[in-house]
Amino acid sequence: MKPCITRRALLPAAAAALASCQKSPEPIPFAGTSPVAVLKAKNYQEDLVTHILTGIRLCGLQVKDKRVVLKPNLVEFDAATSINTDVALVAAALHAFRSLGAASVTIAEGPGHRRDTFGLADEAGYWKGVKDFEDNFVDLNRDDVSPIKNFAGQAQFFFPNTVLAADLIVSMPKMKTHHWAGATLSMKNFFGLVPGAIYGWPKNTLHQIGIPESIVALNRQFRRTFAIVDGIVGMEGNGPIQGTPKKAGVLVFGKDLVAVDATCCRIMGIDPAKIEYLNMAVDLGATNPAQIQQRGENAAAVRTNFQLFPDSTLRLA
Amino acid sequence: MPEGYLRPRLDALRRHQNPDGGWGYFPGKRSWLEPTAYALLALQSESGSPAWQKGWRLLRSWQRDDGAWQPNGHVPEAHWSTALAITLHCANNIHDAAFSKGVDWMLATSGAETRLFNRLFAMLDKSPTGHDLKLQGWPWRPNATAWIEPTAHTLVALKKAAKQVRNSELSRRIVLGEGMILGRRCSDGGWNYGAKAALGIELPSYPETTALALLGLQGSREVDLTAALRQAHHLWQDSRSRWSRAWLAISLRSFGSVLPEEPESQPPTHDLILTALEALATPEGGHRYFRPDGVAA
Repeated sequence: MKPCITRRALLPAAAAALASCQKSPEPIPFAGTSPVAVLKAKNYQEDLVTHILTGIRLCGLQVKDKRVVLKPNLVEFDAATSINTDVALVAAALHAFRSLGAASVTIAEGPGHRRDTFGLADEAGYWKGVKDFEDNFVDLNRDDVSPIKNFAGQAQFFFPNTVLAADLIVSMPKMKTHHWAGATLSMKNFFGLVPGAIYGWPKNTLHQIGIPESIVALNRQFRRTFAIVDGIVGMEGNGPIQGTPKKAGVLVFGKDLVAVDATCCRIMGIDPAKIEYLNMAVDLGATNPAQIQQRGENAAAVRTNFQLFPDSTLRLA
Repeated sequence: MPEGYLRPRLDALRRHQNPDGGWGYFPGKRSWLEPTAYALLALQSESGSPAWQKGWRLLRSWQRDDGAWQPNGHVPEAHWSTALAITLHCANNIHDAAFSKGVDWMLATSGAETRLFNRLFAMLDKSPTGHDLKLQGWPWRPNATAWIEPTAHTLVALKKAAKQVRNSELSRRIVLGEGMILGRRCSDGGWNYGAKAALGIELPSYPETTALALLGLQGSREVDLTAALRQAHHLWQDSRSRWSRAWLAISLRSFGSVLPEEPESQPPTHDLILTALEALATPEGGHRYFRPDGVAA
């Protein structure tokens, strides 16, 4: 019988043991409150621009004169399932943020597996669904870069200039289960900010740092954020790529990405306390429902249990 | 190949060469090694020109003291694209000290998963990858694990360098690298980035990585690549991604396949790597730069 331990579990544990020799102070849990808006949307033919404007208003987001980067989740294409943020939502966000007076709105993504970002975007319908797509899109894998010091224990780490220059990064993930992280939502979507031209395809460096550790580090680095989660049709089971489509019929909005992801987990029937990266991000935002100002729909009322990958250690809450 | 397809691509490359001599991934962006190497290969017939030489000097200036090349002038890290720099040296019959240092760096670099510490960890893994960790491939950057694309590029470079480098380690690493690629082959006959399954569930191959894996396996006498070439043909017929079609054309033509020409009416894109690859993928084009010396198509 093989020992019942995974390398993914053991490596961070070993790293933690080493780190405990010079333990940094425990993070102080987030003490404020965060608004999160949940809106019903049955399908992608609805007036998504109005939904997005409503979500932005309910969360009190200021957009005027800001350089906005819309970061969808563009991973791989498989016509049989729903891997990527639907192009209709991305096109609606482009329109909505422009209408609110943003200085600029750019769609940007750096897929983790596929080198041909423009080809992938074509397969996913982005060229057809976004007017002048090529002029509005930046391939973050191949953008020019600048260094950041002390990122996730690395003395120097490089990020795309497009995201470093942004006043607001709008994370637009698909609502999906993830066979390793439990769920992949607005915080993990930031993996696509890491440039493949330096870190490769896949961005193996993030796996070596640790998936939850990398998620938290990226969200610690990029704090001027907003989330619009595509939960109209999400993915359950063996996400983030090989799962099956799951209709949840919601859009979730918020400035606090921790609170947004915790709310999405509750909508998906997943206990946020069992998501490791959320536990590690207690200083970055609210996971406690008492600290989340629910706006729009009540999250409990739109709960749609997502099936988890059978091997997952998670169980439905 | 009609001039109407090739010429606009070469013109675009000439037009978008940066003042420092290199090429960015896109027009007006900083120069990086990867697009610069492909552009110089695509424009190889002009290697005597001042413009080509300026690009060559820039690329040479990015070599580090340890022999590796860095990805551009602003990121001082060793990088997989060292393989492209070596391939470019071979295409120009330049086998000087810089070339030797680059080859030595590639021979000293391997995927982190093959190190003893990581192999011990792998023995404890309840959901093993099924990879033979003795088969050393190459990573995107030092201290990361090995994947198909950097391994394929490094095999191409080492096989081209083999005539000039008398080193038993080079032969050993070629055998191991080929073994690594063969061990990561998907059940459909092709390759993706380097995982044939995740958590026990099979993953499909990708067109571009299938093309690159085949390029890396050129000249291997031990391996029957018939099924893989058939899969590459299928992918070439089915794919509408121009990036994929360009790599597949380079690869299949390296193996002697005769493919229909791409339509002349297709204009070059603003993606400068794709522009260079499409120029290299033409029937009389540069697929030969990715073929080891002495290996017939």
